Amino acid sequence: MNDNYHVFSDGRIERQDDTVRVVTDDGEKKYLPVENAEAIFLHGQLEYNTRFVSFLNQEGVAVHVFGWHDHYAGSIMPKRGQTSGQTIVDQVRAYDDPGHRLKLAKAFVDGSIHNMRSNVTYYDGRGYDFEHVLEELEDARASLDGMGTIDETMGVEARARKAYYSTFDEILPEGFVFGGRQYNPPNNEVNSLISFGNSLVYANIVSAIRATALDPTVSYLHEPGERRYSLALDIADLFKPLLADRVIFRLVNRGQLTTDDFEDDMNSCLLNEAGRKTYSKAYEKTLDETIDHPDLGKKVSYQYLLRVEAYKLKKHLLTGEEYVPFRRWW
Amino acid sequence: MTDSSTDPVDRFLDAARDETAELPFRLTGVMFQYYVVCERELWFLSRDVEIDRDTPSIVRGSDVDDSAYSDKRRDVRVDGIIAIDVLDSGEILEVKPSSSMTEPARLQLLFYLWYLDRVTGVEKTGVLAHPTEKRRETIELTPETSAEVESAIRGIREVVTAESPPPAEGKPVCDSCAYHDFCWSC
Ligand code: SF4
Repeated sequence: MNDNYHVFSDGRIERQDDTVRVVTDDGEKKYLPVENAEAIFLHGQLEYNTRFVSFLNQEGVAVHVFGWHDHYAGSIMPKRGQTSGQTIVDQVRAYDDPGHRLKLAKAFVDGSIHNMRSNVTYYDGRGYDFEHVLEELEDARASLDGMGTIDETMGVEARARKAYYSTFDEILPEGFVFGGRQYNPPNNEVNSLISFGNSLVYANIVSAIRATALDPTVSYLHEPGERRYSLALDIADLFKPLLADRVIFRLVNRGQLTTDDFEDDMNSCLLNEAGRKTYSKAYEKTLDETIDHPDLGKKVSYQYLLRVEAYKLKKHLLTGEEYVPFRRWW
Repeated sequence: MTDSSTDPVDRFLDAARDETAELPFRLTGVMFQYYVVCERELWFLSRDVEIDRDTPSIVRGSDVDDSAYSDKRRDVRVDGIIAIDVLDSGEILEVKPSSSMTEPARLQLLFYLWYLDRVTGVEKTGVLAHPTEKRRETIELTPETSAEVESAIRGIREVVTAESPPPAEGKPVCDSCAYHDFCWSC
């Protein structure tokens, strides 16, 4: 259930009876069973037509398109199973009320810092000395209370993330030099991995939000965007440490990803196809991991945690019951 | 102008009898079931809070196969408000999905009878049945059962016009409720 399919080949993707078929440029045919799919991720250069799009629409499956340089290019979302005027009204109202917006923005940052901390604590106990980073994160988190604007709140987020990323150079093995976050384009292997991982998290959250009637463009920490699903950015911050970063550490430290999995361009460094395959496979495995959820009284997958987060936000907006951001509890 | 202090039941009846009038609040048969089962769920329903498609039994009891039901029956819609099953005998049928749903189904059926009587002036009796149970229960509109319907209408109105839903309370029915993860995640 809720499977994601990643297509790396170049070629054509099409509807074939009640399934989806990929015909690669070298004539190979692969079938994707879509009944239980949540989304299809297109990484290669693929052609598709309206018949394909309407079929997925009807099946309720999203398509997330990744373009040049692994950049997330956009999504084709199935027609909403959910529309609720009331939800959108409540969502916008909370945005429009400065106090309410700030409170939500702080909740997202608070949860993100907690989850960064959780990763750092793990390594702190395994031969690294990250006491100072943990303190810095705790300081940042504590300073949230006094912040009076979204900008200041964003500033706390940035400060925390910087401290968090400072641990990467120590945790990752030799050959993987990070030296701080670079986005456009990523300038080294680590940045390229972070970019790719974060965009997968983002796309998954776009799907999760779609399962509610929330509007993915109305957000609280990030400024609502015209061309991006900024609510997915708000929620993604909470989950990047758990989903994207842990996969990076695991693959690189175990030597499953090496510098051979990247290609240097003029002034960028990107995962090659083999690297992207390795990463997304491990990432999907992580999404399938399960954890006991004490409030729900059952085991849930990490992927389902994304859905739950969208529910929680929607519930808060609709009922006024408190929104408690996702904090890793195990 | 309707006097705002008017009883919700009267306001509902006035509006239902006058085709041009707007109903003061939305009232459907299934709301009576939710009213008995869980008022929080009723509030969600009234706000169109939907839960994703892959949750089993999205509508409580929707998985009951009542096609097994052998009586000849017709679906009748009245005023776009109620949709009833009329048996050849003229009785109104309500199927209860399970034994725990007797009370909710009974109240819904009573509402139909009440509506037919008060709005369209047609007196009917009802039958409450389960496809696999032999026993059927006859349900009639009496002064007592009418009063039950009317008090439920007032209660439903109170729930659906409230700013926020009643808080979640753990009950056995939560486990099979489509809103389970919505209510209990925090
Ligand atoms: S989960 Fe329980 S409290 Fe929530 S709506 Fe369902 S029955 Fe009501």
